[in-house]
Amino acid sequence: MSIEISENLRKKIEEIKNKFPTGKSPILPLLHAFQDELGYISLEVEEEIANIVGVSPVYVREVSTFYSMFNNQPVGKYHIQVCGNITCWLRGYDEIVEYIKKKLGIDIGETTSDGKFTLSRVECLGMCDHAPVMQINGDFYGDLTFEKIDEILDSLE
Amino acid sequence: MGEKIKITINGKELLATPGKTILQVAEENGIEIPHYCYHPGLPVAGNCRMCLVEVEGARKLQTACSTKISDGMVVRTNTPQVRETVKQVLEFLLINHPLDCPVCDQAGECGLQDYYMVYGQYDPKFIENKNKKSKKATPIGKYVMLDQERCILCARCVRFTRFITKTEELGIFNRGDHSELDVYPGKELNNRYTGNLVDICPVGALTCRDFRFQCRVWYLEEFDSICPGCSRGCNIKIYYNPHRPHKAEGKRVLRFKPRPNLKVNRYWMCDDGRYGYKFIDENRIMYPLLKENGKQSEIYYDEALKKFADYLKENIPDRVIYLLSANSTNEELYVTKKFFVENYELENIFLPAEDIFTGDKDDLLITEDKHPNTNGVKAIFNILYKDFIKLDELREMIERKSISLLIVNRHELLDEVLEYVRENNVKLVYLGTNFNKTAKVADLVIPISVFAEKEGSFINVDKLFQMFTSRLEPLGVSVPEWVLFNNLSEILEYPLSYSSYKTVLKQMISEVVGFKNIDLNNFDKYGEMVEL
Repeated sequence: MSIEISENLRKKIEEIKNKFPTGKSPILPLLHAFQDELGYISLEVEEEIANIVGVSPVYVREVSTFYSMFNNQPVGKYHIQVCGNITCWLRGYDEIVEYIKKKLGIDIGETTSDGKFTLSRVECLGMCDHAPVMQINGDFYGDLTFEKIDEILDSLE
Repeated sequence: MGEKIKITINGKELLATPGKTILQVAEENGIEIPHYCYHPGLPVAGNCRMCLVEVEGARKLQTACSTKISDGMVVRTNTPQVRETVKQVLEFLLINHPLDCPVCDQAGECGLQDYYMVYGQYDPKFIENKNKKSKKATPIGKYVMLDQERCILCARCVRFTRFITKTEELGIFNRGDHSELDVYPGKELNNRYTGNLVDICPVGALTCRDFRFQCRVWYLEEFDSICPGCSRGCNIKIYYNPHRPHKAEGKRVLRFKPRPNLKVNRYWMCDDGRYGYKFIDENRIMYPLLKENGKQSEIYYDEALKKFADYLKENIPDRVIYLLSANSTNEELYVTKKFFVENYELENIFLPAEDIFTGDKDDLLITEDKHPNTNGVKAIFNILYKDFIKLDELREMIERKSISLLIVNRHELLDEVLEYVRENNVKLVYLGTNFNKTAKVADLVIPISVFAEKEGSFINVDKLFQMFTSRLEPLGVSVPEWVLFNNLSEILEYPLSYSSYKTVLKQMISEVVGFKNIDLNNFDKYGEMVEL
């Protein structure tokens, strides 16, 4: 099974290839490019990248599963990533994540049945001064409280 | 090799070749440094952290596997700091490791067990729950079983598939405490060297589906041998089970493992050879058989020899064919030549070439000739490949030369030959180790012992003369071929009078032209080159 590559993605691939003419360096930027376009890194994407870079699919998968920023499964429209590292954890990660679980009716790693939300626990997001923190798609939200979570999630279409 | 440099390990001054690592120099000098991820046949990874040692002048402990030696380097492997650190490294490696040694097939030859005896905490500090991995006792190939939770992520297997077989089926996916060794989703191991993964796995994460639960390893005994699977002549260890034969339905040999020989197989062997061990105990010809009124029945060994001698006397040598086997040892071939060529004056002695050039081969170890000693036949009978005959030319030759006695050593003859032989009353004598179609229709069957039951030597594809030993008794009344022909020569009244294997070996070395460089008192255990 091969994947369809849009004109836009094809252009990006060429750009990346020109930037890193040799070696395995293009793997990360390529993973980003494919994920931006297709939403997640499927096995077919890994094979495609492996072909482009000239390594084995295993090698690409070792990279793509290592970073929590890459999704190896399809995610909902909004990907809620809650930080579970020490600062956020001390500042109430457990309660925050329980609250979100209850509100959306899903567990960590699951997607709501309407495909709107996916909930993940991630490593440090680099905003410890605003702990507890979460990231939804590209945006960061800090100093979370139950009220603030209601406000943020309800505002998302 | 150039200049040697001086390095001190644990107060001992050593001379070593520049470019080597601390671990290599220590191993060469019998100083043990614990390690899991380092393997001499694989690129250095430096990820298990067990080989940390103190190097004078370095602020932190260094990994002995990846630190190259330098002149005047002072290394200590046994200071309290090193021991304490290695203990803690081992405790980390064991965080998510289950305590299932009683049901683990690796128990008894497990790196974790071995090093825990020396570097164990015995009072571990971790109180957290163990992280459960997804795959337990999951087959990932024809011969390999994966238990992810036992894996310590040394990545030897990953490097093996990446750099040795270059098939890259295995990887370590995810991160941190979620890291797990696995095959690529939807794939399984797809190379012909998968048994080596089990060998190099220092723990019970990769176990052998063929050997699992057959026998606890501490009941096994072992001896060195040479794999007879192809002309590469990989050096192997044969593991057999002398203490509890009832546990394996009487089968003695339970596994082969490769033995390092940098001239031949390095550290590896192929699956075909490794799992080809079963013929040693299965389907063996144990007793001589004589066909009377179309039916084979067992006879005494002496009777069989006498019958064989009668056949040889009744038929003139011009009307006899002997088909040699490239599975015979050099010593057997040598006595065969003495007996048939020099005494019986047989001219029709051939090596069938049927399958010598037709097997598959690869770039690593597997050769196309699936016999261990084709070069032995060439050396001793002084013949070239072009002199070999094809099995499909045999029927025509039998007819042309009006052959009346056909002696076959181990080969499987074509149906048309068997049919011709039966219809034309050509006597068929089969000498062999295992039953095949030819053995089942032969007029006289005489058992011979397999390579694992005798001492001997083979010459491999690169003309390397390699000797092997045995610690197994021949099954039934089978004997090595040299004993068979020695006994036969007495009945025929031109006794060869070999009293032991050694006498055959010595005479052969001194007589065969190509072997003149071999010095038995100074024989390289990794094999000696001979001339063909």
